[in-house]
Amino acid sequence: MSHPVSRRAWIRSMVGGSILLPGIVSELLADEAARDASDPLAARQPHFAPKAKRLIFVFATGGVSHIDTFDPKSSANGRDGSGKDKLMGSIWPSSRNPRCGTEISDLFPKVREIADQICVIRSMKSAHFDHSEATLGMHSGSATFVRPCMGSWLSYGLGTMNRNLPSFIVISPALPYGGTQVFANDFLPAYHQGTRVVPGPDPVANLRPRELTREMQETELGLSNALNQLHLKERSSDSVLAARLKSFETAFNMQQAGADAFDLKDENDATLESYGLKRGQNTGFAWQCVVARRLAERGVRVIELIDSGSGNNGSANWDSHGDMKDHAPLAKAADQPLAALIKDLKQRGMFDETLIVWATEFGRTPTKEGKLGRGHHGACFSIWLAGGGIKGGIVYGATDDIGLRITANPVDVHDLHATILHQLGIDHTRLTYRHSGRDFRLTDVHGNLLQDIMA
Amino acid sequence: MSASRAFNHSEVRSAREAGAVALLLLISLLSLRAQASDEADGIAFFEKRIRPVLVERCYECHSVQAKKSKGGLLLDSRKGLLTGGNTGAAVVPRQLDKGTLLNAIRYKDEDTQMPPKGKLSAEQIADFETWIKMGAPDPREEDAGSGTRQTLTLERAKEFWSFKPVARVAEPAVKDKNWPFTPVDRFVLAKLEQRGLKPVGDASRHALIRRATFDLTGLPPTPAEIDSFINDSAPTPEAFTKVVERLLASPHYGERWGRHWMDLVRYADTAGDNSDYPIPQAYLYRNYIIDSFNADKPYDQFVREQLAGDLMPHSSWDQRNQQVIATGYIAMSRRFGSVVDRYPQNLTIDDTLDNMGKTFLGLGLSCARCHDHKFDPISKEDYFGLYGFFHSTKYPFPGIELLKVQKDFVPLIPAEEVEKLMGPHKAKEAELEAEVKKYQSEMKSTEKEKEKLQAQVAKVPKEEQAAIAERITALERRVNEIRGPMGAATKKLEQHRNAAPKIPNAYAVSDGKPADSNVHLRGEPDKPGELVPRRFLNVLGGKQLPPDVAAASSGRLQLAEWITAKDNPLFTRVMVNRIWQHHFGRGLVSTPNDYGSRGSAPTHPELLDWLAGQFAERGFSIKQMHRLLMLSRVYQLSAAGDARNEVADPENTLLWRRQRTRLDADTLRDTLLAVSGTLDRTPHTEPHPFPPMAKWGFTQHYPFKDTYPTTRRSVYIMTRRLNTLPFFTTFDGADSNATTPRRDSSVTTLQALFWLNDPFFHEQAKAFSARLLKEEADEGRRIQHAYRLAIGREPSSMEQKALADYLPQTRTKLKSSGTPAEQIENKTWESFARAVFRLNEFIYID
Repeated sequence: MSHPVSRRAWIRSMVGGSILLPGIVSELLADEAARDASDPLAARQPHFAPKAKRLIFVFATGGVSHIDTFDPKSSANGRDGSGKDKLMGSIWPSSRNPRCGTEISDLFPKVREIADQICVIRSMKSAHFDHSEATLGMHSGSATFVRPCMGSWLSYGLGTMNRNLPSFIVISPALPYGGTQVFANDFLPAYHQGTRVVPGPDPVANLRPRELTREMQETELGLSNALNQLHLKERSSDSVLAARLKSFETAFNMQQAGADAFDLKDENDATLESYGLKRGQNTGFAWQCVVARRLAERGVRVIELIDSGSGNNGSANWDSHGDMKDHAPLAKAADQPLAALIKDLKQRGMFDETLIVWATEFGRTPTKEGKLGRGHHGACFSIWLAGGGIKGGIVYGATDDIGLRITANPVDVHDLHATILHQLGIDHTRLTYRHSGRDFRLTDVHGNLLQDIMA
Repeated sequence: MSASRAFNHSEVRSAREAGAVALLLLISLLSLRAQASDEADGIAFFEKRIRPVLVERCYECHSVQAKKSKGGLLLDSRKGLLTGGNTGAAVVPRQLDKGTLLNAIRYKDEDTQMPPKGKLSAEQIADFETWIKMGAPDPREEDAGSGTRQTLTLERAKEFWSFKPVARVAEPAVKDKNWPFTPVDRFVLAKLEQRGLKPVGDASRHALIRRATFDLTGLPPTPAEIDSFINDSAPTPEAFTKVVERLLASPHYGERWGRHWMDLVRYADTAGDNSDYPIPQAYLYRNYIIDSFNADKPYDQFVREQLAGDLMPHSSWDQRNQQVIATGYIAMSRRFGSVVDRYPQNLTIDDTLDNMGKTFLGLGLSCARCHDHKFDPISKEDYFGLYGFFHSTKYPFPGIELLKVQKDFVPLIPAEEVEKLMGPHKAKEAELEAEVKKYQSEMKSTEKEKEKLQAQVAKVPKEEQAAIAERITALERRVNEIRGPMGAATKKLEQHRNAAPKIPNAYAVSDGKPADSNVHLRGEPDKPGELVPRRFLNVLGGKQLPPDVAAASSGRLQLAEWITAKDNPLFTRVMVNRIWQHHFGRGLVSTPNDYGSRGSAPTHPELLDWLAGQFAERGFSIKQMHRLLMLSRVYQLSAAGDARNEVADPENTLLWRRQRTRLDADTLRDTLLAVSGTLDRTPHTEPHPFPPMAKWGFTQHYPFKDTYPTTRRSVYIMTRRLNTLPFFTTFDGADSNATTPRRDSSVTTLQALFWLNDPFFHEQAKAFSARLLKEEADEGRRIQHAYRLAIGREPSSMEQKALADYLPQTRTKLKSSGTPAEQIENKTWESFARAVFRLNEFIYID
């Protein structure tokens, strides 16, 4: 990873080329020492020692069938074999990971191989069974009212570890249901909004310099900076003005740091191959996973990968009403990169300090819809967690024999959020923000920690 | 709760009065503290671990609010728990083996397994054990009913500043009699003098006209406007009065102040449901707002029209239409989900009430939807007293995933004409509607039956399961059978409605069936509590509808009159504070939507009341208030710092100087367009180019996502609820889902990236440079022209030199990097233009 230009070099360069006012250089350099204490994105102390430093949140759009994946049910042709009751078990065979015994269907064979590293929760429930509401609920805890999402709350609570990149990055080929609200900061300060990355040649909006060489851009910024310094001199008590000048510097560096983060040319063949990514390819879920690891390495606090399937909304995501076989290509695209991501993080010694959560909107009904499809099912579904102080190789919660209802340890989104925050060192009852006369929390008045899944 | 707050002061005082020795006092104090702290911990445990479970899992059957309290047991008060029901005490503090509650939740006994719908988690049961061991601490009052205690009760509210009548305030005396221009200044100066502070000097004319022009029109002053003010030989106050009058008369004034209002009423051109249905008629309400500001419509009338314009008398058809369009305010409430049949209208009404409370009264009402407000004197009954007005109101239906056409919009032509056009169409529509309804109701009852059986199936013996399963299958088959014809019937209805004769109409409301509302227990509409007559908030007088009015109308007209009454202290205070805020960067009350106990008290309470009095006296003229504020000396102060004042009052709450403000997102975009010469200044007076309704197929999978680029002012941009344009997200634009009383002015790296590389930014710089090249031939004067256009002043000699030096350097660099000769001049000036746009002075207004 290349190093962004140092502040010192930056200051020199903007006055460089003889422009003017060498007098202010020394002032600027002196300022280098005094970091702004009120920086809203400065890394902050958590409430207690965290298990994880960062979160990688994978969200599968459309609703993944628990019955056909992480909570396999076998009643293949109805309870009595006649198929009259319309019950349909998993249409894929399943088997157990030999080390931990966790049963996973053949849709996720590679994840199954590393199942001893993950904790499957089979007793997740959703507050709503419509896409937009379930998606918003999973992200913000509220299915109806627009509230800040978890990533924004984490950024607000923890700040970032790398000022040259946003603290919360969402890699989302297509927008999820609910639109940009899903990663919005809402009433939290704007610093904490999710920055959307769209896989492709220009992943972050406005990151690529236009028309200019880097040197010319530097000189151009140098001119406004010099004039801004003159303006600031007479208004020295206004920290906002200084903060804006600093933001230009960060943005300038981000052009480089960001481009590096999204450019996979320094990845070796073995790594790319392990994710199933072809060299030069800059789209697809595998690309999202490699980039997630690179962002994790670079200190981004929250990385969200939206697995939106291949199309632009609609039928190409996991919403398989018509035919469950539509799950197959999606699983194929997700399985290997997810397993590779975990192995890769492990290899680099980052697994323990990274919390990985794979989640979806809701599960799918045990009864079939149409010929071979399934409807939305919020009463129970499966998600999984890994790394970041989570017990590997376990299954938490259970459903009945057809995957209709939870039979043990129900988990709602508030419990999940509380637990994620806890692993990152935050007490969810203490992370509050005063807005319109009251203190808001991600978990509102709810949330119980899932102690049983913590290592 | 902290130990010190729980500590009982009166006991200590009486001990002291009794002459107890100091040591005894100390001991009792310590023990009291310890006790208080234990108790506080216990209560915290209750609040965190026990109460939520009781509320969620037990209250439905075991509370005062429950339809029928089961087994005579009430769990919503401490008394209820200890007394218990038919089978004895539910909880005996510190004794795990006694009381019926533990036994029931442990599912030990076949007969009493509570809650019946599913066992609590092991952790929750353990919590109850811990809590009982602690002595079952429980802060709930006897006969809880509401279950909460208000910080500010109705009784105490009489003494709370915001609910007190607006006081008649005399202008205060000041030492420096020469300083004030107007009474406003005397209030501000008196406070400063009290603290021994002096205001800074006056702003330059350059700064003043820039400030005033942005404040009133949201656009930068032109060089000609600046020159005319600078060269005016009259003394500044007099010359400035002319500027203010000119700006108040500008049509751009309404666009700027209308935008402030649109922020409050969360204006959008889409509905906010799953598929974000477009509302082509919404713009009529937007233009009504802009026109009202431009016409200086009295504020009370403006508010009355938005709440009840359809019920107000009118003397012309045009006036009637404007008043109808005004109720777009209510129609603007958010829509939810995708269904028609069981559409959650309660959520839409909740959104209306939330907005109404905050916008007109500075009160958050929504807490009272589920329980009496915790902090403010607003009860559930207050809430549902207001709810009834909107429950009796017919909201227009903008279309939704499962019925993709508009309905119940209000015609803007007389009823007879509508009848003539629509008569034959309507009969057929009713027929088609009935058919859809028939299927819907069968679907509903079938699904209900199915759900009932599904719940049963697990509970019956194995041998009976098959039979039930068969019935479920039959019902499912029926559901599938109905689905086809139901879809076809809906489609037919959609097509029929789409083929309806086009009638000009507005996204506005009309009266529905007049009816009071029941309280929704815990905010759930299917759990009706007592019926509450339609009335105003008790804390604001609690007026009730006369029976004849209540029977004949929604009563919104009366509600509008109560809200806008001269003696409603919140109505005037809230609005004058908003006007103040937009002129001074911060309100006298810094929480403009919250005048309750959690809001901030005013920094200058006397001034606030004086202004409120003036506002009422001047017929609620908003333009009069602009004059009153802008012609004051405190408005005309410089933004300069002052070492001494900065220590004494770093936040400038005493107004010793001008508060520097950042251009908001809309103004920023408008300013870039205006300076580069590409702004289309004409108002937007027709619908956005939405696709025709017959082609609407929006679903949550394929929501409405269009954008309609424009070079008109930002106030005219088509705004969606589900997806905000990135520019507005980046620069703290208004929230189109909830009221925005104040724009943030954050500084972020994403903003800086905009200023580096955004295509729109680069286009504007290109246009600006072309303008400069065209309008000024001389290079030195061109630099000056650029400064005058962009930041409203001439460059200093040092700035001029830096800018002039930059040009040849850039030409050389462009040349050496291989730029074709014919492009060098343009590219040089584009680079120059970008540098000027990046000045802090371009977006921060002194």
